[in-house]
Amino acid sequence: MTAVAFLPVMFTVLACISGSLLLVLVYLDNRNSRIDDSIDAFRRHIDALSPESRRNSVLRGPEDGPRR
Amino acid sequence: MARDLAIDLGTANTLVYMKGRGIVLNEPSVIAVNRKSGEVLATGGDALDMIGRTPSYIAAVRPLRGGAITDFDITERMIRLLLQRVGVSRFTRPKVIICVPSAITEVERRAVTDATRRAGASDAQLIEQPMAAAIGANLPIDEPVGNMVIDIGGGTSETAVISLGGVVALEAVRVGSFDIDAAIQNYVRREHGVAIGERTAEAIKIQIGSAEPGPQDREADIRGRDLVTGLPKTVRLTAEEVRFAIDEPVAAIVASVKRCLSKAPPELAQDFLARGMFLVGGGGMLRGLASRIERETEVPVRMSPQPLEAVVLGAGHCIENYQALRGMFMGANRLR
Repeated sequence: MTAVAFLPVMFTVLACISGSLLLVLVYLDNRNSRIDDSIDAFRRHIDALSPESRRNSVLRGPEDGPRR
Repeated sequence: MARDLAIDLGTANTLVYMKGRGIVLNEPSVIAVNRKSGEVLATGGDALDMIGRTPSYIAAVRPLRGGAITDFDITERMIRLLLQRVGVSRFTRPKVIICVPSAITEVERRAVTDATRRAGASDAQLIEQPMAAAIGANLPIDEPVGNMVIDIGGGTSETAVISLGGVVALEAVRVGSFDIDAAIQNYVRREHGVAIGERTAEAIKIQIGSAEPGPQDREADIRGRDLVTGLPKTVRLTAEEVRFAIDEPVAAIVASVKRCLSKAPPELAQDFLARGMFLVGGGGMLRGLASRIERETEVPVRMSPQPLEAVVLGAGHCIENYQALRGMFMGANRLR
């Protein structure tokens, strides 16, 4: 009887532990991906300022656009 | 679907860049309104011709002074008109980037964004003028080298050191080419007893104004109103007189450039000697200004090939690459 009553408690505890573990893993994974994101964002930022990237907007100059 | 816009809302001129099309509008930041009915009578070049020549019921005004909004309602109406003229309607609400002076206060910042949103923009972001100017002048700001840009506008002069896509040092003063015009007006009033308008003062600056003595020093006849008799009068001004008259605002601009140089880290300072400083903005076109800055700072100065358009072209590049460059906008979390 005691063993049967103990089983749900044990499963509940195990579920809580594995849930917490999962949350910790998700948090750590997110933290890692945030660092990668910031590196990617900085790379995109610098790339967007490169002369090649500016060729279509800045170097096209004002002559190409119609003016009023 | 509205095309997104970049606007250089300058004290002197307003330029609009449309995504995928380039500069679509370039005209003076002036609006003429009927004081009685509140109706807009003219904008841009037409309104500019009215300054100082209007009957009492018409006000032809520049709604921005020193890069800041002095009249919120009129500025909002001017932005609304600009947006309408480039095809924005109540059903097409574009994202808009506005170039503003870096020294703008929080209240002024909110005034510009509110005016732009109320005028029909779905989103309004601000970018510092020197940063936009550096992008527009095509400086290699993506590299880890010191790029120095001096932007002399109608109401503000800003100097920035930029490296790796960000501002390293910045110095701004609320002195610009309108202060140079005002200095000429004050000099003629004080020394010759003649009152002249701001457009006449600007014409003198363009004709014979200079920051350094040069081989092309000339004289000019100017017409105004004698302060004693009240009658029209012509006086002759020399280039030397004008140089003396404008020395105070010119010296203030040069001093701000020196302060910015002194703020720059030593590693970048050596880059300036090799690469020089870049001058943009209409005020930078004053004769002899580049050579005076060069003489006083001992750093070479180069004029941008498109001094009037550099800022809006830079902002236009940001609207073309909105997601990648959104970290540059004022108030944004850098590199989200």
